[in-house]
Amino acid sequence: MVEAQSVGEHAATRDREGWVTGTLVLFCLASTIITVVAGLVQVTFGEYSMTFVEAWSAVFEPTVLFNLEAWSSFLFGTELPEMSTDSVVVWNLRLPRVFVAIIAGATLAISGAIFQAVTRNELASPFVLGVSSGAGFAVLATLVVFTGLAPYLPLIAALGGTVAFLVVYGIAWKGGTSPVRLVLAGVIVNMVFQSLQQGLFFFVDDLGVAQTAIAWLTGSFTGTGWGEVRIALIPGIAAIAIALASSRQLNVLLLGETTAKSLGMRVERVRFFLSGIAILAASVAIAVAGIVSFFGLVVPHIVRNVVGGDYRQLMVGCLFAGPALMVTADVGARLALGGMQMPVGVVTGLVGGPYFLYLMRKQQSMGEL
Amino acid sequence: MAQNKTQMTQERITDSDGVAVESALVGEDLSLSYPTTEETIVECARLDIPQNAVTALVGPNGSGKSTLLKSLSNHLEPERGTVRIHGKELDTFDRKELARELGVLSQENDSLGSITVEDLIYHGRYPHRGFFDSVSEEDHAAVERALELAGIEDLRDAELGQLSGGQKQLAWIAMVLAQDTDVLLLDEPTTFLDVHHQFRVLETIRQLNEEKGVTVAVILHDIAQAARFADYLVAMHDGELYDWGPPEEVVTEQLLADVFGVEATVQHEPELQVLPRRALPER
Repeated sequence: MVEAQSVGEHAATRDREGWVTGTLVLFCLASTIITVVAGLVQVTFGEYSMTFVEAWSAVFEPTVLFNLEAWSSFLFGTELPEMSTDSVVVWNLRLPRVFVAIIAGATLAISGAIFQAVTRNELASPFVLGVSSGAGFAVLATLVVFTGLAPYLPLIAALGGTVAFLVVYGIAWKGGTSPVRLVLAGVIVNMVFQSLQQGLFFFVDDLGVAQTAIAWLTGSFTGTGWGEVRIALIPGIAAIAIALASSRQLNVLLLGETTAKSLGMRVERVRFFLSGIAILAASVAIAVAGIVSFFGLVVPHIVRNVVGGDYRQLMVGCLFAGPALMVTADVGARLALGGMQMPVGVVTGLVGGPYFLYLMRKQQSMGEL
Repeated sequence: MAQNKTQMTQERITDSDGVAVESALVGEDLSLSYPTTEETIVECARLDIPQNAVTALVGPNGSGKSTLLKSLSNHLEPERGTVRIHGKELDTFDRKELARELGVLSQENDSLGSITVEDLIYHGRYPHRGFFDSVSEEDHAAVERALELAGIEDLRDAELGQLSGGQKQLAWIAMVLAQDTDVLLLDEPTTFLDVHHQFRVLETIRQLNEEKGVTVAVILHDIAQAARFADYLVAMHDGELYDWGPPEEVVTEQLLADVFGVEATVQHEPELQVLPRRALPER
């Protein structure tokens, strides 16, 4: 009896704290602080200048924070109630952009982490399975050819990504798929779609359209507002929740296909389902921010380096690190060049590329998980 | 050889007293091949894995042992024929349901080096847990039992990547033990291990069989070791069953010549012993 009790206690502590390590908690805390600070910088600076104190007090302005009408305007798109200029700038222009960056950062990081487990390849990312080029092509086709569909651009981007992924899966399927075949098919489908994209650029005769297209293809938060938050919030939360709940499945998948099968996992089904979740997550980000390069590849690496390879930890880490890095990158994209805004994808590419190379040099083994 | 085949179709496997033995796993009329090739790898009219005993599959490289084991564990769909576990066809099982009856350890296991031994063994509880289930008391007890049986309690918190090959193998075996199945299939668990760890693996298997009556089918590449260790031997040659039964009956100088292509002396006193002498010329 006594023994059973002590065993029970051990099990309980394991349940509560077994994987929640000090490192993980610290990492998440640090990420949260970075997110908040970067967010504050983002709402403070810009063409309409404020001091930190003004911005801070505008963020926590009780007449907005506890105003149901204001929230209904933010979340459901109803009429905006009267408020001060500070409040309008902070709450209606700058904060939503931060929120969009938070959602996109979290979903992209988690999507990348899932794809890396599903393909058992550290070099996989949301975009290696064709999602990015498919979405990019769909966006470009809409802007150039089917201009009437422009209001549905986010939906179309997600759709393009999904179709491309299904093509990749179809090519890789041969009585089952394998990580290597999936990645190879992804590379090939990527190439085809990129050629199509480049072909489409020849039909662009308007400079404005070309710029919009480039902003989509490199990823940008310019001009995002509550509308984008409304698009991304619910599917984003759903994808993240399912992904977190699936972390044990991902861990078992990492034991290798044969072992996972021996343990009673329907590997193909789980792999397809998890890929679907990862696409949903990536589509959320693509729909509001376009294609932010390198992000889904690099963030899981950073997190893995710090908290380790256990997906229960990795997913939580990604959930916090993704927003921190995305909001920071967007601060750079918006404010670094003074008056001119860059696409955030340029910043993530410029910072993420060299960092990834550094990781490759530092680590002995890379590639296979 | 032809005589062996007819024998196989007609008779049930018997123990040393000539009494028919209950089988945990039965393969009938099996024809096995891989989807990528036309060639049939294994043809087998009937294969019995006797209940509550340790059966060793032996044979030279490429004789189809692993292929046969894969079909027994539903990793390979037989082209023809059926496999039944406790009288029920494998196909009728849900995957998780099957994983609660039948544990399998394949030959090559690769995984993250950073996973701890305890975490790995907890994965053995996968078929017992639903999607949202947390670790239950039962899971915990099973993992503790597995750690103890494999004798690796002190390695609990070690990371897999830091262990020696033998320790790793014991950790993987502990994972399969935590699965808590009545039947266990092991593909070459002792290959590439040093003698100390070979014995520890075999002793763990033996202990499991004696204490809990678990049925074990194990591929061993060392016929001498298999002869001493197993209750029954199944000898394979060129994708067919050459012979099967208790080691005293199966292991003969003729078998060693026909199946393994070696000239050897087989001693029956004081205990069964195989002493290989030299390789026979290829026929």
